[in-house]
Amino acid sequence: MKKSEIDAMNKSFAILDERRSHLLDSERTQDLKKKVKEIRKYSISNLDELLNKGIKKLQENGNEVIFADNSEKALESILNIVKNELMVAKSKSNTAGEIGLSEFLEGNGIAVLETDLGDRIVQFDPESRPSHPIGPASHLNMEKIAELASKRLNTKINPEPRAILDAVKSDVLDKLSKCNIGITGANSVAAEDGSIITVHNEGNINLVSMLDTHIVIVGIDKLVRTIEEAVSVVKLETIYATGKTTPAYMNVISSPSKTADIEQILLDDMYGPRRVVVILLDNGRSESIKEGGECLLCIGCGSCIVSCPIYNAIGYDFGYRRYLGGRGVVLSRFIENEKSCFDSGLFTCTLCGLCTLECPLDICTSEMIEKMRKESVESHLFCPEHAKIASRIRKKGSPF
Amino acid sequence: MIYFRGCVVREKLTSISEATETVLKKSGVDYTIIEDEKCCASFLLRTGFQREALEVMEKTLKDLKGEKILVSCAGCYNTLKNDYKELLGVDLDVVHTSEFFNDLIEKGKLKIKRIPLKVTYHDPCHLGRHCEIYQEPREILKKKADLVEMERSREKSRCCGAGGGVKSAFQEMAVDIGKKRIMDAENTEADLLVTSCSFCILNLKEGLECFKIDNKDKMNDKDKMNDKNKLNNNIHISGVVDISELILMGLEDEEV
Repeated sequence: MKKSEIDAMNKSFAILDERRSHLLDSERTQDLKKKVKEIRKYSISNLDELLNKGIKKLQENGNEVIFADNSEKALESILNIVKNELMVAKSKSNTAGEIGLSEFLEGNGIAVLETDLGDRIVQFDPESRPSHPIGPASHLNMEKIAELASKRLNTKINPEPRAILDAVKSDVLDKLSKCNIGITGANSVAAEDGSIITVHNEGNINLVSMLDTHIVIVGIDKLVRTIEEAVSVVKLETIYATGKTTPAYMNVISSPSKTADIEQILLDDMYGPRRVVVILLDNGRSESIKEGGECLLCIGCGSCIVSCPIYNAIGYDFGYRRYLGGRGVVLSRFIENEKSCFDSGLFTCTLCGLCTLECPLDICTSEMIEKMRKESVESHLFCPEHAKIASRIRKKGSPF
Repeated sequence: MIYFRGCVVREKLTSISEATETVLKKSGVDYTIIEDEKCCASFLLRTGFQREALEVMEKTLKDLKGEKILVSCAGCYNTLKNDYKELLGVDLDVVHTSEFFNDLIEKGKLKIKRIPLKVTYHDPCHLGRHCEIYQEPREILKKKADLVEMERSREKSRCCGAGGGVKSAFQEMAVDIGKKRIMDAENTEADLLVTSCSFCILNLKEGLECFKIDNKDKMNDKDKMNDKNKLNNNIHISGVVDISELILMGLEDEEV
């Protein structure tokens, strides 16, 4: 990440931190935190049961469900659905980022229209990546954004927020009108209800999920029992991610569009999609559960990276794809392997533990990192500087 | 009681062991120093060298078992207190200088002289978040000078940037993070940054030097010509010191 991007990101994070500070210690937030902790702990401890229930109920509701063991299976399933399209619309999704969906589709000749403003801006900049799970363009300043948008949209856009928004919006809406398939993630999946819950402020998911086919790509860790539980989870996520108590939109989607208004005869294909396909992705999550599954408690608010000393110093180079910071490093070990975990910054963490304090779920990331370092060294993956010091300590009892 | 200095104090920041020993002598405390003091193994444990760590810990334990141990370094403290218990099953009687000195002051065994300075305190991660020692160092600071808190302090304290093997592998980044912590301290307009971890001090001292250089770069040439001393004058924080060094301030001329 460039120095200017780090500075812009630190500035964005400081504003966010300030905006949410009064909310975090409030009694309501504390109560909600307690509740969500129980919900997430139950989910991770009973994932098999929730997965079986969820698949069954989603199918009963008229959705298609695909269980994908790994990213290859997920990508193949999506390609199979979208292969005849020139362009597909997409909303912000960490899970899509995890499997490298956009790159994969572009590689197969299918253009991807990012509809989230931040993601669309980042898409304009081939050199950068999202820097926050909810605010992906946190590292780009207004001048840079205007420059990128002007170049990509072939028109002069002033470095002024409204002008940028209007220009990107009208371009996205124009392209969206030609798309037949929308791809979104999900913030939670309610197993007993067979529903998926999405959260957004821009209204883009409303548009993307109303196209002919709606594909949902979601990790199995997002399963909870009920819609009520899912709402609690996303409310807490919103508070920690944005400093607002509620997002502009929470969509609960339980089936394709339907009506029974003519003599109670059930007809599909009313205003919404004819087809809803839910792809439930494992991709190492079951593996993580075997080791306690702590990193799967995450609700994706990004609070950990806002305060992380390392993330604030080097940005998204500390983390794995869209899973940023130390928790992303831990997750990469399960999604990929030890080498990927090492490359994501396993040895870059100071183990300061501030992320745990800032996490609404109290995820002990530094403890997991310490444990993984041990395993990594056993597999001969370590920093050469550390090995030199370790040898000095053994020989003469001193690192110097 | 053994005073276990720790590697950074022993080899890089001897002023801390000198100050600590002076305080101990002033207070009439009997203590011994191990001449061939070994390593607590904190570095090895944090960087994944578990096998080597256990080997070193077994050796170090021979010197320390059954003794009361006084430490200057927050890293040594956390390791001797928690990791030895967890990995070797031994409950070591370890005390940090901030706890020990505060106790001496409260019992009237150590007299301290107030100095007219504003000081701020940096909570080392190993002592604060990991061992929940927040109050004792502050008690000393309040008795010695005017304590002003940084915006992020106690459990919310920002990391100095050195821990977890980061300083040895990524020196530039560590100092960069240290500089941010200096900025936090500078914002309190304190004269001095005090902490209770030798490794933090090592990194924060370098952070302060970089902060001064940045500040110099920001000044225009006219300012530089007008006042050569302005470089240091417009920075409040004059240094980073250990709690033991702070205790001795203002007592330099007295016989100790």
